[in-house]
Amino acid sequence: MAAIRQSGRSSRLNKKMAIWALFTLMVIIAVVMLYPFWYIIDNAFRSAGQFDRQAGHSLSGWKELFANLPVTGQLLNSTLVCAASIAIILIVSTTAGFAFAKLRYRGSGMVFLLVVSALMVPLQSIIFPEIVNLGNVHLTSSYAGAVLVYAALGTPFATFLMATYYRGISDELIEAAVIDGLGYERTFAQIAIPLSLPAIATVTVLQFIQIWDDLLVALFFLPTNQRTITAGLATLATGRTTSIPPLMAGSLISAIPAIVVYLIFQRHLVKGLTLGMGK
Amino acid sequence: MSLTEAKTPASVPAAARRGRSGRATRSRLSRRRRRAGILLSLPAVALVIALIGIPVGQAVYYSMTQWNGLIATWIGPSVYTALVKDPIFWRVVENNGLLLLAVPFAIGIPLIIAALLNEHVRGWRFFRSVYFLPTAISWVVIGMFAQRFFSATGVLNNLLSQVGFGASATDMLAGEHSALVALAITFIWSMVGTNTIIFLTGMATLDPTLTEAARVDGLSRLQIFFRVTLPLLTRFIQFSFVITVISAFSALFSLIFVMTSGGPGFGTTTLEFFIYQAGFQQVQFGTAALYGVVLFVIMAIAGLVQLRLIKPDDGGGW
Amino acid sequence: MAQIELESVTKEFPDGTTAVSSLDLAVGDGELLVLVGPSGCGKTTALRMVAGLEDVSSGTISIDGRPVNDVEPRHRDIAMVFQSYALYPHLSVYDNMAFSLKYRRVAKAEIRQRVAEAARILELEPYLQRKPRQLSGGQRQRVAMGRAIVRQPRAFLMDEPLSNLDAKLRVQMRAEIAQLQRSLGTTTIYVTHDQTEAMTLGTRVAVISGGVLQQVAAPQELYRRPANLFVAGFIGSPPMNLIDATLERGSAAGDDAGPVVVFGPHRLAIPAEVIAAHPAFERYLGQAIVLGIRPEHLHDAALAPAGISGSAIRLPVRLREELGSEVQVHGAIGTAAHVSDDAADDVRSLATIVARMDPRTKIAEGETAKIAVDTAELQFFDPASGDSILA
Repeated sequence: MAAIRQSGRSSRLNKKMAIWALFTLMVIIAVVMLYPFWYIIDNAFRSAGQFDRQAGHSLSGWKELFANLPVTGQLLNSTLVCAASIAIILIVSTTAGFAFAKLRYRGSGMVFLLVVSALMVPLQSIIFPEIVNLGNVHLTSSYAGAVLVYAALGTPFATFLMATYYRGISDELIEAAVIDGLGYERTFAQIAIPLSLPAIATVTVLQFIQIWDDLLVALFFLPTNQRTITAGLATLATGRTTSIPPLMAGSLISAIPAIVVYLIFQRHLVKGLTLGMGK
Repeated sequence: MSLTEAKTPASVPAAARRGRSGRATRSRLSRRRRRAGILLSLPAVALVIALIGIPVGQAVYYSMTQWNGLIATWIGPSVYTALVKDPIFWRVVENNGLLLLAVPFAIGIPLIIAALLNEHVRGWRFFRSVYFLPTAISWVVIGMFAQRFFSATGVLNNLLSQVGFGASATDMLAGEHSALVALAITFIWSMVGTNTIIFLTGMATLDPTLTEAARVDGLSRLQIFFRVTLPLLTRFIQFSFVITVISAFSALFSLIFVMTSGGPGFGTTTLEFFIYQAGFQQVQFGTAALYGVVLFVIMAIAGLVQLRLIKPDDGGGW
Repeated sequence: MAQIELESVTKEFPDGTTAVSSLDLAVGDGELLVLVGPSGCGKTTALRMVAGLEDVSSGTISIDGRPVNDVEPRHRDIAMVFQSYALYPHLSVYDNMAFSLKYRRVAKAEIRQRVAEAARILELEPYLQRKPRQLSGGQRQRVAMGRAIVRQPRAFLMDEPLSNLDAKLRVQMRAEIAQLQRSLGTTTIYVTHDQTEAMTLGTRVAVISGGVLQQVAAPQELYRRPANLFVAGFIGSPPMNLIDATLERGSAAGDDAGPVVVFGPHRLAIPAEVIAAHPAFERYLGQAIVLGIRPEHLHDAALAPAGISGSAIRLPVRLREELGSEVQVHGAIGTAAHVSDDAADDVRSLATIVARMDPRTKIAEGETAKIAVDTAELQFFDPASGDSILA
């Protein structure tokens, strides 16, 4: 029989100290995570000279940014491209996810595997054939090409997530609808979709961040006048006159929508990931 | 759990109910289900095949050609044997390999952070949001910051001198290997948010009585973490591994582009950047396709290998 | 072997709910104490506080005289069996049982011996290399028990270990647990919501409701002398009939001179010995009380065992249920049955009582039956406080 440790003030104190140590550690990690943000914000409000001296603040960086880059236009482009791509991804992945999860047909397992394994294909491997193909159908000089590529790239993961989510919906729910006379397609539209909002939110947030911040597709599939903000910033960053504060200002503007979208959806994100990854 | 094994309704004529397979005996309901299934999954399949599947095939074809975007001259599979003999290629692959070494850190650190968050100390939700925030910043911006952070006149050296380690100030971006390390550190930093969320979510799905049983049975917190929590998180660790490797090998383009442009020398030229160089700097699209195919194969191998190494054994099947 | 004491233990959750209210319990060395009560009554919370998985808001928990409020679970030398068994899915049965010993640095030979012994007792020997997912519910339950046994702890804490098993298995495992505890002699606190389990297993049973201890006593005592309405209605199946009644002075003539309990058209004389033993009856003369009669104390007058006093009532029979070993007869009493405050919302006042009768009874539905009442076993309760008047 083992001995019982003594209870008392020292163990209570230990527990309190452990909690404080944990808290401190988490604050340190937060600082490490946020420092670049701080750096960007701090330097976004400087002029070039102030940046070099690392002292003082002004709005000249912002003026320079708007002078060198069609910021609002590019922000609009980014939004458009994101919205269109995500719309396609959601439509395509919810239907397919439902089909793979609930409407299994002969060979659907293989097809599902095929779609999901496309996840492993890096963009760089297929970008050149892609450019050629889309060029042949005249889609490289408008949003359409970029949107299609983004949609295709995001579909495997989204389909995987939606299929996993739909697997968790009980068969009986579907069967009840079928008995009530709904076809499978309408069952999907009226029953499955409303139930899958957390998963939809998850896909939206993750894809939004990925598409908004993407550089490669934006550079190669969008003409200059339809550039996204990320592409615009990249050209500014590697341009000949690299003045830093406007870059910082631009980065700030670019980061805000993604942050906002994340904060709005974060509760659903956790829920969606839970159900997407769980049993 | 699919509906394919559902019992056929009694209203279906007996002849149709008899037997399990064979087209003649399939009920009307299952035919409708099959049609719906094919219909609903068609858009996704079409999209993926058209914009991913076909280009993969094309890439394989073009990899064996010399292609300047307009004319493709066939060379044949000998390009692959030639590649194996190319020292620069191996230098680049070596970079990818070294970057792979960063993956355990990109997974391990978030695991620890998730464990900390899982203690639910007051304000943990706030910290969770904060840790994920860097994910929202584009690689371009991170690259810019990282470039200034690690350079000779950069932030890192400033901090070091403030703390008293001014003597060890270096220009990390000047040396080939140190630049790669700087790249790796930046990469790890940016993966923390995503992986922490994944693991935190995973921990939330675990049955709490398992850790409670371990607590009562005498294990220390540390032992519980390694012997109970981690084994149960295997599926999530797998998922995270795949995502992290995919990121490391195919998502760092913008970062490298802005931070080091692949240099110094070939120091930070990973395979994906190499593809860009071959394609747009040297206008050798065939070569670029070649590297692209190799990259894809490497990723596929990595994916399969980890499926064997990290065996999920938590009693659940797919 | 240990004594466990809870002194005025209270648990308040951050959202304001008080799960356990000033609980006083003493578990003797080698005793099997059952904590029983409806869902949400606080019994599991109390158990978890003893385990150290929940903090104590106020009060003291002591093991063998030592207060353990701030001692971590792993230093309390107790083993716990969870309702869901909490088996590690990635480990074999053997490894599950050996798990804790491995990390307490027990010698390998010793581990092997203890696990083998436990496996023998629990008949798990053929399954040692299997994983939990390959086992049936009953087998998993035994593995959970085995994991606790190999620890050789001071005390076992069991949280509804049989609730996830089907009825037949439950009855069998119940007996096995009882035998096991007796042969090991380890102090055990056992939580369940099933009063049958409580009665058959416990050396003593503590009935808890709403976080408050209602009564703690040996099973027989709880059955014969329930301390209040809750215990009376909770222990026993079918439950005790509870009827709103009044206590009146008896008529002047004969030995019905003592108090009489009246409900509807019925009058029952209370035996003189009962009156003599409980002077509290005085206070309730002329007042409303709650009368309790156990179904087993209502007999077919034609078949009543000798010695039952002459009190009988006539009831129209509404329902007769054949159970094989007995017949349950539902009779209308012509007045309201007592409905307690915390009864479920859908419990209607049926105005019938249930009698458990000899299977030879010829009483049929629709007839008015003569039913003998064993007035020596009547229970009486204060309608306001719920406390037993006989206490």
